[in-house]
Amino acid sequence: MITAERLTKSYGSTRAVAGLSFEVRPGVVTGFLGPNGSGKSTTMRLVMGLDHPDSGTVTIGGRRFHDLRWPLREVGALLEAKAIHPGRSAYNHLLSMAQTNSIPKARVDEVLGLVGLEAVAGRKAGKFSLGMSQRLGIASALLGDPGVLLFDEPINGLDPEGILWVRTLLQSLAGEGRTIFVSSHLMSEMALTATDLVVIGRGELIADTTVEDFIASNTEATVLVRTPEADRLYHALSTAGAGVRSRDDGGLLVTGLDAARIGDLALESGVALHELSPVQASLEEVFMDLTSDMVDYHGHTPLEVGA
Amino acid sequence: MTTATLTTPLPALDHGRSGLANQVRSEWTKLRSVRSTWICLVIVFVAGIGLSALVSNVEAGQWAHLGLADRASFDPVRFSQTGSFLSQFVVGVLGAMVITSEYATGSIRTTLSITSKRTTVLAAKLIVIGVVVFVIAEVTAFASFFVGQAVLLAHGAKALPPGSTIITQVHSATIPYVSLSDGGALRAVFLSGTYLLLLALLACAIGFVLRNTAGAIAAFVGVLLVLPLIVSVLPSSVAHSFEKYLPSNLGLAMTLVTTRKTDFAGVLFTPWTATAILLVYAAIAVVLAAWLLVRRDA
Repeated sequence: MITAERLTKSYGSTRAVAGLSFEVRPGVVTGFLGPNGSGKSTTMRLVMGLDHPDSGTVTIGGRRFHDLRWPLREVGALLEAKAIHPGRSAYNHLLSMAQTNSIPKARVDEVLGLVGLEAVAGRKAGKFSLGMSQRLGIASALLGDPGVLLFDEPINGLDPEGILWVRTLLQSLAGEGRTIFVSSHLMSEMALTATDLVVIGRGELIADTTVEDFIASNTEATVLVRTPEADRLYHALSTAGAGVRSRDDGGLLVTGLDAARIGDLALESGVALHELSPVQASLEEVFMDLTSDMVDYHGHTPLEVGA
Repeated sequence: MTTATLTTPLPALDHGRSGLANQVRSEWTKLRSVRSTWICLVIVFVAGIGLSALVSNVEAGQWAHLGLADRASFDPVRFSQTGSFLSQFVVGVLGAMVITSEYATGSIRTTLSITSKRTTVLAAKLIVIGVVVFVIAEVTAFASFFVGQAVLLAHGAKALPPGSTIITQVHSATIPYVSLSDGGALRAVFLSGTYLLLLALLACAIGFVLRNTAGAIAAFVGVLLVLPLIVSVLPSSVAHSFEKYLPSNLGLAMTLVTTRKTDFAGVLFTPWTATAILLVYAAIAVVLAAWLLVRRDA
């Protein structure tokens, strides 16, 4: 269990996190979403006691980080995969970590096997690819067999097989009753991996909910319609109060009316329909909609919403 | 790849907490597992022995041609410790890098996120780097001493009679050499190693304060090399009251032998006072490092 209460943190005049409160419960994977610069990494650093909050508290299992007696055995974190001395072997890196918390040497070999790095345990970490570094970071988080785990962008640099592996690993760790808090900018990945969601933008909480509820409560039902007489249908639907947008391929995206009502209107207007299908909004789209005004840095290519 | 579950649960630890002994083991693993550590230690040892042999050989070869003043300053102990001029920078780099390399790579955030008390990390690093530097520095100091005296002996050096003064030395027909039991020799050799220990601790503390390799090394070199230059261009009345406080001059005071003490009477502190002052410098830097480490964001 991770509990944040009114966490606030500024760096100079830059406000990183403001009045952030949320709870991460054990037993499920909780995704932590936000655009770049929204305060995800700051929040994780505050959880791990690396940065001091200006106000507010964050606790791990009810205790602040600095009150943990064997920190590595209670909370494991992968914050920066490449933050390893390049000249030290993976084995010695993990051994030095294990020694701080009286974790037996055998455990180092075990986690190296777990992440598939046993063959390169003696190699210098500086020679590792980003994917291998991510695996080493995951190994170090698991070293103390902790009940609470934080992962900051764990699938960066992993190949598809690695991504699948991480997804399975996170879910099986959650299945063992652990608290799993994982940030990602890949919203589609979170839709597949996470059950709960904490969403932030510009350091403020946008949502603390489940993936399902998040999508349901933040999307208008959209229906894709195709017809050879787009102009007439457009007129009929607009008159009935629906929102209609044209797609490049000639399809119409209709909001505000359900599929049945659209079909009825088409019949009344004598318009033939070639397609009438409800569109499931992806987490990605919901997220984009919700945070579009909260992104600090964005390009100016218009985003086409649609399937 | 199979689904990963953690099959063997760790033995539970219901008592105690992660403490200094844990952190010392960890810091030793970190120090011994990078090649730069061993390169630095080899440089200290080889430079110590090598420069001792070289300088003792050159000085001994010139004895016959030396004037009175040069004979008066002929110091067999200091010749043998010439390597410490180089080694002071090597142990400074080693001491600073113990912590600044963690800031450079970002691994400091791993270090601080697996231990609940930050001052434990500082203490453990000081202990480990202190023990390692002290051992290599003392071994090197004594080995260099014996190598230096052996070279002088090979040039036909003879021990001066007990109770000798500079006057005796100046008028001696043969090259003087000393044994550890001669006045001040044991102390000078021992403090030559101690000087390197205190510098390594000072550099480590500077590293904690500046959190940057280039900055820490520049500051350390500045204190040893640039500060004396600045003091030397001050009016001599002012310089006189400052120069004995310079770390480099404290080091000189620590390694002088008694026969030469009169040269520097009033200019330098006594060996043990100098040691104490250098220790105070290191302690001040350590306190500042601890104060900042606890307060700053990692």
